[in-house]
Amino acid sequence: MALPTETDMSLEFWRNGPTPGGLYNFPGQGTSTKMGPIKKTLSPMVTGTSVLGVKFDGGIILAADMLGSYGSLARFMHCPRLMKVNDSTVMGAGGDYADFQYIKSVIEQRVIDEECMNDGFQYTPKSLFSWLTRIMYNRRSRFNPLWNTIVVGGLQDGEPFLGYVDKIGTAFKAPSVCSGYGAYIAQPILRNALEKQPNLTEQQAKELIDQCLTVLHYRDARSLNKYQIAIVTKDGARIEGPISSATNWDIAERVGFFDE
Amino acid sequence: MQMDPGLHKGEGYQYGPNPKQHYFSPYSMNGGTVLAIAGEDFAVVASDTRLSEGFSIHTRDSPKTYQLTNSTVLGCTGFHGDVLTVTKLLEARLKMYKNEHNRQMSTSAIAAMLSTVLYYRRFFPYYVYNIIGGLDDEGKGAVYSFDPIGSYEREAYRAGGTASSMLQPLLDNQIGFKNQEGVTKVPLSKEKAVFLVKDVFISAAERDIYTGDNIMIHVTTKDGTETEVFPLRRD
Amino acid sequence: MFLTRSEYDRGVNTFSPEGRIFQVEYAIEAIKLGSTAIGIQTSEGVVLAVEKRVTSPLIEPSSIEKIFEIDHHIGCAMSGLIADSRTMVDRARVEAQNHWFTYNENMSVESVTQSVSNLALAFGDDDADPGAMSRPFGVALLFAGIDDKGPQLFHMDPSGTFIQYDAKAIGSASEGAQQTLQEVYHKSMTLKEACKNALTILKQVMEEKLNSLNVELATVTPAAGYKLFSKEEIEDLIKDI
Repeated sequence: MALPTETDMSLEFWRNGPTPGGLYNFPGQGTSTKMGPIKKTLSPMVTGTSVLGVKFDGGIILAADMLGSYGSLARFMHCPRLMKVNDSTVMGAGGDYADFQYIKSVIEQRVIDEECMNDGFQYTPKSLFSWLTRIMYNRRSRFNPLWNTIVVGGLQDGEPFLGYVDKIGTAFKAPSVCSGYGAYIAQPILRNALEKQPNLTEQQAKELIDQCLTVLHYRDARSLNKYQIAIVTKDGARIEGPISSATNWDIAERVGFFDE
Repeated sequence: MQMDPGLHKGEGYQYGPNPKQHYFSPYSMNGGTVLAIAGEDFAVVASDTRLSEGFSIHTRDSPKTYQLTNSTVLGCTGFHGDVLTVTKLLEARLKMYKNEHNRQMSTSAIAAMLSTVLYYRRFFPYYVYNIIGGLDDEGKGAVYSFDPIGSYEREAYRAGGTASSMLQPLLDNQIGFKNQEGVTKVPLSKEKAVFLVKDVFISAAERDIYTGDNIMIHVTTKDGTETEVFPLRRD
Repeated sequence: MFLTRSEYDRGVNTFSPEGRIFQVEYAIEAIKLGSTAIGIQTSEGVVLAVEKRVTSPLIEPSSIEKIFEIDHHIGCAMSGLIADSRTMVDRARVEAQNHWFTYNENMSVESVTQSVSNLALAFGDDDADPGAMSRPFGVALLFAGIDDKGPQLFHMDPSGTFIQYDAKAIGSASEGAQQTLQEVYHKSMTLKEACKNALTILKQVMEEKLNSLNVELATVTPAAGYKLFSKEEIEDLIKDI
């Protein structure tokens, strides 16, 4: 990235632009010739932000917005990041969008292969979660990670399931799960709601998720007010959206620097 | 260790003589504390149930204790991805041993095996702190403590994980009778051990942000293992 | 006798129409040409005794070895092809040390026998496993040892089948020796008695006159582990029989 001949002066002069004769440098863009022919995700390119998930009475709900960011550039505005695996299992991913699409295609192919067996077997939320955990951990152990945080949700034996796995194979189950900025902003809201009422109704869960996404949209600069939700109940799994939540920017004009 | 991709946005604009390069780190520290105490005919193994990363709590319900056999319990903390892998591997090795040798693995055999399991990854270690508690072949309480690359020894009591430096001196004083003058060294009772476990964890939860939520306490005797959950502060 | 077998007795990977693998059966036959070996298990320990065929006065008797130490707590007596037995004893030793390395405990006698049995079965005339033998081993083994279950005696034949015995004879005179063992064996036999019984039976079945040079004898006890008897110790035993 750094040109050895650069001085601080020239950088001052060319602030916010490419170095003289250089190209725009986006995050993670390595132009080093030392890079071998093997391509690894050592930093993410097009990324998705938080994924949220919460259990409710008789099911789970997942949510993720549809922005594909290219660094700080809001590059793609219609990136579905939720996936229906089968009637009892859904998943959502943040992080590198290409890696998510790869995982998605692998899972879709595996679902088809299993379908061809026609033996009634299908992935359950727990088995998919366990499999994903091994995939993510094995890839990190080969120093070729899939740069994602994945939330798996579903219904197994009548019990709601919600799990989280990240790019190094850290995995856990929880009543509410958030990745990325959601861990800081949405998770406290979700936990607070669950503490007051551990058994939400589907409608309450939906409203809670909408509230979280609204706050995230206010606070997370890499978010978009266009999102999808995935709901799994005993009646099956469905993905809804795109949905936009009602926002209120009235307060903006009271913020000092807003009209400067 | 903070690898959240969201936190790196905008770094691409940081032109300067020393460009920041971010590396992929295969490890993270997920916190948690484990503790094991050996008595004459019992062993206590306990852990908190908090799983964290940075300033976030992933979940309040993730015990770090693993019942390996009727007479052996493992406490395992550190990088949770490695914890999951090591415990799963041990479970498989335990089953294989049982199939091959028609008997359950003894606590000492599990300890020896874990040491080799850890050392085989000497140059890409499992980032885990292990403490085994259980009964030995004579029915006496046994505690084995490990470092992440397989060095191990048998001890009377040991704390491991993020609050180990807070628990261990307290145990040295209360169980090992260290730095006490003119005390009669009475053998540790089961009740006193469990009581101590609760006390030291309550204290640790005050100071260590990675320790809290609940303690899972396993008391192993010849009659099996009894498990108790005890609440800690949740902030 | 073997006329009907001619079509199926060459390959080790072909069953005969009656469901037999002849090469394995021939290997078992080969044992019956071997020198006699006896193992007796008592509550105090296990004894192994073998005859050495010193066929020429120019042979150095101590160079014939038919009882081996597998580990401190396990010994092994063989009958059949000595060279084949070396491979199996090597495997048993490696497995025992591997177990000790991994688990820091003695490997049980049964587990050692099982691991050698796995080797005994790993024959075949294909190239799949370059290290494997192309034919069955022509060896029967007696594993004697002490473990959590106390003194143990296991017999294994070239088919890899292994069975636990109180007392077992293998080799050319095994049939007669086994008969005698059945008559003399009782549960409360002492180790000393077992040693003497083993030598007595060997004396009966050996063609040469039994002496301290043409037999080998070893015991495995909880206290001393594996112990191979010296010439003098055997002489002392022979005096008593």
